[in-house]
Amino acid sequence: MKKVSILSVCGSGTVTSSMVAGKLKEKLREKGYDVFTTESRPTEALNLAKSGRFDLITYTSPLVPGDYGIPTLNAFACLTGIGEEEFLDNVLKTIEKISADK
Amino acid sequence: MDLDLIKIDLNLFTDRAVIKELGTLMEKKNYVKKSYVEAVLKREEKLPTGLNIGGTCVAIPHTDPVHVNDAAIAVARLNTPVKFHSMIDPIQELDVKLVFLLAVKNPKEQVDLLTKLMALFQNISVLKQIEIAANKETIAAIIDRVIC
Repeated sequence: MKKVSILSVCGSGTVTSSMVAGKLKEKLREKGYDVFTTESRPTEALNLAKSGRFDLITYTSPLVPGDYGIPTLNAFACLTGIGEEEFLDNVLKTIEKISADK
Repeated sequence: MDLDLIKIDLNLFTDRAVIKELGTLMEKKNYVKKSYVEAVLKREEKLPTGLNIGGTCVAIPHTDPVHVNDAAIAVARLNTPVKFHSMIDPIQELDVKLVFLLAVKNPKEQVDLLTKLMALFQNISVLKQIEIAANKETIAAIIDRVIC
């Protein structure tokens, strides 16, 4: 399985980001990806993104403006279930693009 | 699902009152620390938790695990909707009839439970069942079926 590392960001870096992380792990495993996630608050995200450990960021709380250097995707669809398929497709496309660029 | 953490046909008129009501139930049974309710209220002001699930609106107030002793979920069904701000667009106000107050202890270990809870909030037919359930026991059974 191909490995993907995702930084999941929400307001308090606990509940919502873990929900999104759980969903991503489940859905991406079906597509052959082994997903590692780290949950964080928006204020921690920029430093974590710059650590180079992550392939992309998903967020349910607005990110602090800055140069993250990796793709950032809004994961609100994961919370309401509305538009979730498109969100997951988008994540998949982003991962595939990253793998192709590596 | 602890039946003592379910309140139906509540007549409360603000998001804060609902959070206090449910949080106090959790505190009485020692699921959460004394600091919990205030922490949830503060968080809700800054990072609101209303969600519009295809027309049916719910709210999932919660806070940092440091205020929690044991994981729990409390449910309020309101007689008349209460305004909660939207998590996705905080300026927007939503009319919420079902509130799920979450006490999360260890998010890493509870990812499975959290994912199931998310599936619960997103399932309109389950939400509708909770809205029309005749009593607390029925609501507890519906929730247990989804999260266990």
